[in-house]
This record gives sequence, C-alpha cells and structure tokens, in this order.
Amino acid sequence: MQANLALRLARQTAFRRSLHLRGLATSTTANAAHIAAESSSSSSVSASSRDASLIPLSNVEAQWATLSGEEKTAVHEQVEVLQKKDWKLLSLDEKKAAYYVAFGPHGPRAPVSKPGDSLKIFAYTMALVGAAGILSIALRQFGGPPPKTMTTEWQEAENARAREMNINPITGVSSPDYKGKGFVH
Amino acid sequence: MRAQIFSSILRASARPSALGGARTGPLLARFSSSHAQESFESFTDRYVKFFQNAEDLFEVQRGLNNCFAHDLVPAPSVIEAALRASRKVNDYATAVRIFEGIKEKVENKTQYQAYLDELKPIREELGITLKEELYGH
Repeated sequence: MQANLALRLARQTAFRRSLHLRGLATSTTANAAHIAAESSSSSSVSASSRDASLIPLSNVEAQWATLSGEEKTAVHEQVEVLQKKDWKLLSLDEKKAAYYVAFGPHGPRAPVSKPGDSLKIFAYTMALVGAAGILSIALRQFGGPPPKTMTTEWQEAENARAREMNINPITGVSSPDYKGKGFVH
Repeated sequence: MRAQIFSSILRASARPSALGGARTGPLLARFSSSHAQESFESFTDRYVKFFQNAEDLFEVQRGLNNCFAHDLVPAPSVIEAALRASRKVNDYATAVRIFEGIKEKVENKTQYQAYLDELKPIREELGITLKEELYGH
C-alpha cells in the first residue's frame, strides 16, 4: 500500500516535470529557440566551470563509493542534463558516467562476491577436508588391531561350520551349487 | 425373522445403487487452460504501441521489464521503438541497457550479432554505444 502510494507520487512528479517541459516547449517558438540557444551556449561555459568545482565525470566509477549523498545527487543531475543533448555529441566518459550512475555495480547491483572469493572458499574447504582426514588417520593409530573374527581363517571356519549345520540350504551357503563367498568378507 | 429382514436391508444399502454409480466425471470443469495464446506478431504490435506511447522513464523501464520477461527475444521493431522511447525520455543509460538485455536473452553470439546488424542504422542515428564498446570487453 505504502509502496504503491510512493510509486504513484513518483509518477506524478515525473508527469508534472514533463508537463513543465512541454509547457516550455509550447511557449512562443522563436522565444523558445532563443532561450535554447542561449542556454546551450551558456551551459557549455557554466558546465565547464561547474565541472571544475564539482565532480569530474571522467572517473565517476572510481569515485562513486567515496561520494556523499549530495554529491551523488549532483552527479545524477549533471548526467540528466547531459543526456538531453544529442547522444552523438557525448564523449565516451560522459556516456560511461551516464551508464554507471544508472546501472553500474553499486547499491542493489553490487556484486555479491569479490573476484578471489571462490578460490578462497575452495581452499578453505580443501583445508577442512584435509584436517578431517588427518584426524581420522591419527585416531586410527590409537586403535588396536582388527578383532580375530575378521581374519580369513576364522571366516572360512565359519563357512565350514555353516555347511555342517546346513544353514540356508536352498539359496545360501549350504545349497548344492553355491558360488558366493559365504561369511568371508 | 426380523433379524433376517434387518440384515437384508443392511446388505441392500451397502450395495452400490445404480443411481449413485451413474455420476461420471468431475462436476467442476476448469477452463483456466483455455486462454488464447498471444501470437508473436500481436505481442510485437502491442509493445511497439506501448513504447510509442510511453511518457516517462518509469513507463519505458516498466515496459522493458515486461517485454523482456517473456520466453522470447523481442523483435527488432520492438527494440527500435524502445530505443526511440528512451531517446524521448532522454535516458542514454536505458538505451545501452536494452542491448545488454538482448545479449542476455539471445541463445548465442551469432543471434546477438544479427540483432546488432539489424539495429545498426538506429544505433548510428541515435549515437548509442554498446556496453562492450564503453568498457572494452
């Protein structure tokens, strides 16, 4: 509900602004042309002087993180004015700045992980697995030998006893054509 | 005697009756799957008109979000209308972003190249640089 309202407000302001622009355009055309010419000639002068005092657009990408809120707003306004010109007249730096301000990797589009992150995660995982392996081997060093029932002789004796007792005579150890290993592991 | 009658009544009620078994098929028919499928041509027309009538940046970006959300790559005419719309609202970044969107949507590089070739005239007309050209990769 609130978001909806905010959206509607934003759209209203945008609409009012466009109305305002259109109002300017539909005022007496000669006058408008005069104003436009004057503003473009003066803006090139004032823009260059303002650029010097404000933030240079040449490497906004590098500076963006260190800029304060007002400075960011200033850059936004600067870029907005720039984009009203013929796009063929924009320099590469200005184009980059316009793109970066709108869609650059900052704010919600900041990348989730840094470049070396996956390698770091892999290395740490391998280290942990290795530590677990070493721990397992070390613990086995303290264990005694396997029990006597795990020897082959014992298990063959088990088989012999099983046949003697006729255990599982249809499919198992004692069946006539048995081919398995019985109790031998 | 009474017990016999009682049990026969019970048995009769337990048997499925002919009337009850006659109900076949679900009573509630659902027609949710019977939407008319929009054809690619009407989709294209719809979005070309949308971008021609778009008034502000919000509308243009909303339209772009919607038309790039389908399981298809918008036709070059839609892209052209969108580029002209972003020129109209004076937003260069959106124009660059549209080509980024196409790059995401197409299946391979040849298709992307085909789109670039097809849209070369308008790119030169409006002076749109691709993101690859801006950042060199």
